[in-house]
Amino acid sequence: MDTFIYSLRKFFQSIPLIFGVTLISFVLMVYFGPDKTYDLLGKNPTQQQIEEVHHQLGYDQPFLTRYFIFFKEIITFDFGYSDSTGEKVSSIFARTIPVSLAVQLPILISGNIISIILALIAAYFRGKMIDKSVMFVAVIGMSVSYLIIVILFQIIFCSSYGLNIFPVQGWEVESFTSYLKYVTVPVLASVFLSIGYNTRFYRAVIVEEITKDHVRTARAFGTHPLKLLFKNILKNSLIPIMTRIIITLPFIIIAGSIVLESYFSIPGIGLVLYDAILTGDLPIIKAAVTWTAMIYVLSLILTDIMYTVVDPRVTLK
Amino acid sequence: MNNQKLLEVQDLVIEFTTDKGKVRAVDGISFSLNNSETLGIVGESGCGKTVTALSLLKLIPSPPGKIIQGHILYQGKDIVSKSESAMRHFRGKEISMIFQEPMTSLNPVFTIGNQMIDVIRQHTHASKKEAKERAIKMLERIRIPNPERRIDEYPHQMSGGMRQRIMIAMALSCNPKILVADEPTTALDVTVQAQVMAQISELQKKFNTAVILVTHDLGVIAETCTNVLVMYCGKIVERADVSTLFESPRHPYTRGLLTSIPRIREKKLEKLPTIEGTVPDLLHLPVGCRYADRCERVRDHCRLEEPPLEKKDDKTEVACFYPY
Ligand SMILES: Nc1ncnc2c1ncn2[C@@H]1O[C@H](COP(=O)(O)OP(=O)(O)OP(=O)(O)O)[C@@H](O)[C@H]1O
Ligand SMILES: [Mg+2]
Repeated sequence: MDTFIYSLRKFFQSIPLIFGVTLISFVLMVYFGPDKTYDLLGKNPTQQQIEEVHHQLGYDQPFLTRYFIFFKEIITFDFGYSDSTGEKVSSIFARTIPVSLAVQLPILISGNIISIILALIAAYFRGKMIDKSVMFVAVIGMSVSYLIIVILFQIIFCSSYGLNIFPVQGWEVESFTSYLKYVTVPVLASVFLSIGYNTRFYRAVIVEEITKDHVRTARAFGTHPLKLLFKNILKNSLIPIMTRIIITLPFIIIAGSIVLESYFSIPGIGLVLYDAILTGDLPIIKAAVTWTAMIYVLSLILTDIMYTVVDPRVTLK
Repeated sequence: MNNQKLLEVQDLVIEFTTDKGKVRAVDGISFSLNNSETLGIVGESGCGKTVTALSLLKLIPSPPGKIIQGHILYQGKDIVSKSESAMRHFRGKEISMIFQEPMTSLNPVFTIGNQMIDVIRQHTHASKKEAKERAIKMLERIRIPNPERRIDEYPHQMSGGMRQRIMIAMALSCNPKILVADEPTTALDVTVQAQVMAQISELQKKFNTAVILVTHDLGVIAETCTNVLVMYCGKIVERADVSTLFESPRHPYTRGLLTSIPRIREKKLEKLPTIEGTVPDLLHLPVGCRYADRCERVRDHCRLEEPPLEKKDDKTEVACFYPY
């Protein structure tokens, strides 16, 4: 109950933040964003055509009026129709977000589990050969370009030079088997990359914990190393680890991964957003900005709540 | 087997590899411990007390530390050669250790019950429920009020003294033969110190445990110990039973420590009374006696040769050529 009231209060306190973010983004879009008109009319439009389109898109309204319309859209969560395709924004999101999540969630979950395990092992054997090998792989994951990794994985898994067991790209998902067929290689490539960054960060967190007195105490009572790592140390390291994971949620849910989705032709939200930004499809951008801000605030509240779950010394105030 | 010692340390050498070279934190010490004996170890900061204590459980941080030489015989069996997994069944079961910092020695994110149950289940086949009952019983023993409720509390909800008492309860929950206490009261309030020491003595009698007590506080030694080791620069310089040591200290260093005892008892200093001069750097030890530079009885011979620890009478062993 306390948690519920706290969350509600936090959310209401964050409303100005949401409006601030959306206002700033809106100013940027209106004054610096691309103009959709020429995208719709092609080359050499007449002055009259231009004015007509401007009127249709609402570009001829004064800024305040336009922002007021946006304001109303934010409150009603109804962002109208895409300027490019005429499809309802909400149905575009409903169609593409699940696809992105179907790729991103396995990456997030397996990437973090693997990184945490590697980091625990590296930290436990810090300074030894195992640690150095793990960190070597992590640095490779960090420093090699995404493109190269993607191509490498495509060659290894999807070409006749390699195993040739998965399609190079595409997304014709009808069943769980076909889902696995299309999702495996993008997930493997991204997990490899995320391991690089995550393992380094998590190792640093865990090394700090491992030198604490309570770990020495646990060792002095004969605690098994696995229990020491996965119980005593992990729970203490969970706050920075969780913060990092939860803060990436809004970007995963709304932004997906533009690079990944374009290399593998995955029809997710990332590609939609990419096109919308390039062509100035305002309804979609507005919806994305609003949803991102909203989910960001929710993630922050979630981190606060998780703190209290993990650490008894933290209370929600 | 009657004359077999509970614990026998023979010629133990422990080295740390540092940036500046190898440091011998413990340099060839030997001592033994009988059943239910209380052995005190005193000495200035950095003389190797903690390293000695940790070595008994093979808990020396390694790297950089390493046991170079010597034996630690527990009930006649050497533990130096024991594997890490064998040591896991040993730690907390045969020898337990409590540390100086009660504020940080317990895990902050688990209840004390959870931690006590872990220790009990590590060394017995008790079910969770049995282990919890046993933990509550231990808390009753140390007279924590409302043990059924407090067992579900977290360390931060307790005072330093209470945490140290819980550490003691935890350490004794599997009936170890030896309790190693490394300055168990140094970090505590003066008023709580006596209470914690009394608790250790009481439980020691009840469980028939031998205790190795590392401390700065000579007063505590006088009150609780049966035998005393005085350490200086990684070596034992004097060994005697407690009354002999306090009545007729033989080593000039011991004597220096003792002269100011009445004063420390009044003021409850945390540090040992200071003796003039500085402890030699472990990296640049002199050839002869390590105490020579600070010694009032020093003669030429002392700077040329290191005095071995020898029996001077039937009660004392001293490492000095010209003892009192
Ligand atoms: N982790 C370590 N790395 C390097 N050297 C160490 C380490 N631990 C201990 N030493 C060395 O061992 C020596 C003895 O340390 P120890 O902690 O046993 O002293 P102590 O007698 O317990 O002192 P205090 O009374 O301050 O606790 C130190 O002077 C130091 O040179
Ligand atoms: Mg110490």
